[in-house]
Amino acid sequence: MSMFAPQLPAGPLADLTVVELGEGTAAAFTAKLLADFGATAIKVERPSGDPTRQRGPFPDGKEDPNASGLFAYLNTNKLGVMVDLATNEGRDALAGLLSDADIFVTDLAEAELEASGVSARHLREQYPELIVAVVSPFGDGGPWSERIGDELTAFAASGLAYGTPGIPDAAEHPYDEPPLHPSCFVTETLAGVTAATAVMVAVRGRSIGSGGCHIDLSEQAASACIQVRDLMPSAYGNAVYNRLLNPVSIGRMPNFYLPCKDGYVTVAAPMDIHWTRLVEALGSPDWAVSEKYATEAARVANWEELRGNLSKWTQSLDSEELFALGERTKMMIFPFYPISRMADSDQVRSRESLVETTIGEAPARMAGAPFALSRTPWSLRRPAPRLGEHNSLLADKRTRVTT
Amino acid sequence: MTTQDSRALPLAGVRVLDLGQFIAVPFCTLWMAWLGAEVIVVESGGRMTARGAPPFAPGHYGNPDASGYFNSLYAGKKSCALDLTSDAGRDVARRLATVCDVMVDNFSTGVMDKLGLGYEAMSALNPRLIALSNGAFGRSGPMKNTRGLHSTVNLFSGVADVTGYVDGAPRIHGGVLPDPLSGIFGHFAVLTALHERERSGKGQYIDLAMYEAMLTLIPEAIIDFTMNGNEPRRVGNRDRKKAPYGIYRCAGDDKWIAISVQNDRMWASFCKAIGRADLCEDGRYTSAAGRVDDVVEIDRLVEAWTREQSVDAAADLLQKAGVAAGPVLRCDELLTNEQLQARGMIVAPPHPVAGTFPQLGLPWRMDSLQADYRRAPLLGEHTHEIITGLLGMSQGEFDAMNAAGVLN
Repeated sequence: MSMFAPQLPAGPLADLTVVELGEGTAAAFTAKLLADFGATAIKVERPSGDPTRQRGPFPDGKEDPNASGLFAYLNTNKLGVMVDLATNEGRDALAGLLSDADIFVTDLAEAELEASGVSARHLREQYPELIVAVVSPFGDGGPWSERIGDELTAFAASGLAYGTPGIPDAAEHPYDEPPLHPSCFVTETLAGVTAATAVMVAVRGRSIGSGGCHIDLSEQAASACIQVRDLMPSAYGNAVYNRLLNPVSIGRMPNFYLPCKDGYVTVAAPMDIHWTRLVEALGSPDWAVSEKYATEAARVANWEELRGNLSKWTQSLDSEELFALGERTKMMIFPFYPISRMADSDQVRSRESLVETTIGEAPARMAGAPFALSRTPWSLRRPAPRLGEHNSLLADKRTRVTT
Repeated sequence: MTTQDSRALPLAGVRVLDLGQFIAVPFCTLWMAWLGAEVIVVESGGRMTARGAPPFAPGHYGNPDASGYFNSLYAGKKSCALDLTSDAGRDVARRLATVCDVMVDNFSTGVMDKLGLGYEAMSALNPRLIALSNGAFGRSGPMKNTRGLHSTVNLFSGVADVTGYVDGAPRIHGGVLPDPLSGIFGHFAVLTALHERERSGKGQYIDLAMYEAMLTLIPEAIIDFTMNGNEPRRVGNRDRKKAPYGIYRCAGDDKWIAISVQNDRMWASFCKAIGRADLCEDGRYTSAAGRVDDVVEIDRLVEAWTREQSVDAAADLLQKAGVAAGPVLRCDELLTNEQLQARGMIVAPPHPVAGTFPQLGLPWRMDSLQADYRRAPLLGEHTHEIITGLLGMSQGEFDAMNAAGVLN
C-alpha cells in the first residue's frame, strides 16, 4: 500500500506555487518546507540532475540517481522538470514556469543565474509580484560575496565550528580536537528553513501591498545569527565562548557531559537547589558533602575535581539507570541516544516523528513534520520526482499547474 | 527607529502574546518583533529567567534592565509585568489572549492548562488565535513531561551520533543549536498558520518539539539506518564523497582554516596553489574516490602546508586559485567580520540603562520590506499602556491590581 496520499486535503499553503532551482540542501529544503505544507512546488533540474541524486544513501549502497536518500528526503511532494538552461528553449521553459509562480527559490551562484536569465534583478523587473529568494554562502554584496563557499566554509565562518563541541561538552585537547563540523548539512539546512521563513514574511508583505521581494540570504549569517548566547560574552565584555573545557564556557557547575557504563550522559545541577538534590541522589558520599562543593562559587573553583568525582559515579551506572534516577529525582540527567535507539523509541513512534517511505524499491523512514499543525496538517502527497518526470508541464507553459 | 524608510514592516498589525523563556521561543519572537509584530512579553519580578542572567552591562551587575541576555533576546518587544501566580494576573493574561493573533509558550507540558491559558479554552474565546507551544519532546508521547535542555535534545535527536572526531565519542553541537533552530521553525509555523487564517478565518494549535526540528538536519543518517541498517561512523570533519574536506591547523594559537575541495578540477587548482603541482600527476589522487580512499594521507599533506600559513593569507591564496576555503571564526570575530558588517547584519540599538551593545540582526536582506531594530523594554515598561490602553481597563482597576502586587 502506498503511503502517499494525493487525495489529502489541501495544506495551509495550497494557494502558493513555488519554482525551485536548487542544487544541494539549502534551496531544496526551503521548497520542501513550502511543499510539505501544501504549496505546489516545481523543482527545476539541469540535465546533470541535482548533485544530491549522487549522494545517497542508496538501497544496499547501489548508486542510482532516482534512489538517493538525501534527494528523496529533500524533494518529496515536489513535481520535477528537467530543463537545459544553456539553451534558449530551456530558458524560455523556466520563464514560462515563473510567469505563473508566486515564489522562486535558488541557491545557484549569481553568475549562473545571470547566464540563465534569472538573476534577481532581472526577475524583479520582469515579475514585480514574484518573491525571489536567493541563498548564497556569504550573500550578495560585501567583500566576501564573490568567495567560493559551501556548507563547510560557511559553517566555519559562522562561529559554529569554533563553538563545537559545545556546552556542556568540551574539548580537552585543543589540537587533537579541532573545531568540529557534524556529518550533515547543518548550515545549508539552517539557511533553508530561514529562507522559508523569509519567504513567508514576503508573502505577508505582498498581501499588504508591497509587491514581490528579493530575499538575499547569507548562509554564513543564518548560522552566525543564531548564536545569541555565545556572542554575549564578547559583546558585553572580553570573554569568548569556545569549545575548550573551562568555566567560561561551562558556566555554573556542575554541568558536564560524562561517560557512563554503556554510553554518555549529561549531568546538570547549576543552582544550589539542584546540587542538594544531586547529592541526595548520589547517596550523600563524603566527597559530595564537602565544603569544596557547598556553594556555587566553590563548585566553580573546584570544578575539575568535581568533574572527576562525578565521572567516577556516572561510570558506575548505565544510561537507563541514570535516566531513571534523573526522572525520579527531577534532576537534569540525560543519556546519549544512538540514531538506532532514537528511531525505535516510543516517543518517536508515538508522535510519528519518522514516517514510512520508499526509496527506489526499498522501505525506509525519514523525518516527518517538523511541527504539528492541528487543523491543516503536514502531508506526504507524492514521492520525489525522477529526473524530468513532469516535463509534460512544460508543454503548455501557460497551464496553471495543480496538484 | 529606522526612519525615512518607506518600505513596509511586513508583520505590522500582528500581535503576539509571548510567554516564552530560555532561548527557543524568545528567539522566535525576536525576529517577529524586528519585522514589525507587536510582541507583548508577560514577565514579573518572580519570573524573569532572562533578566537575571549574565552578562550584564559593565557597572550594572544584577540590574534587570541591563542583562545582555535579556536585552539581546527581547529587543523590539514590549514588557507587561504580570504575576501569573495570582488569579488577577492570570485573568489579565487570558484577556490578552483574546486580543492577540498569536500566543507562544515553552513552559513544561501542562503548565498552560494550569494557568487557564490552554489552547482549547483560549480558542473558545478567540477562534482566530494561533497558539505555538514548544517543548523539548513536544506536547504528546511518553516523554512529553521529560525536561530537556539543548544538550538533552542534541543527545536524543541523533545529531550527536553524527558529530565527533574520527571513531571517537558522540559530541554535542555548539551554539545551543536546538533552541534557535526550534525558534526559526516556530516562526515559519506561525507565518504558515497566519497565511492559512486569511482564507479560513480560523486559528490553530502548533505543537513544536525541539527534537523534531533537529531531525531535519540528519536525513542521510536516518535513512541509511532505517533503510540499510547502517549506524553512523563518526569521521571528524571529513566528508564521505569529497577530499580534502576539513578544518586544518594554521600557524598561530588555535587558528584554523576550512578547506573544501569540491571536485577534481579544484583539486588540481589546490595542488598548484600550495606549490605541490606534483600531486596533480599522482594517479591515486586524480579522482575524488581515490582521495577519499587515502584521506589520512591527503589530510596529512594538506596540514603540512596549512601549519606554516597564516589563516587569512592561506584563505586569500586558495580563493584566488578558485578553491573553497576560509577562516574558522571565533564568536567575537563575528562582531568585527567585514562581510557581516558590510551587509548590515550587526546592529546595536541604544538602551537607556545598559548602553549600546552589538548583536546580529536578520540574516537576510529585502528590497521591498524593512526590519526595525528597536531596543529591549525595561521591566514593566508597557504595563500601563497595555492594561489601560489595549485592554481598556480603568485607571482604578490598574491601581487596584498594582496595589495588590499583581503588576510587579
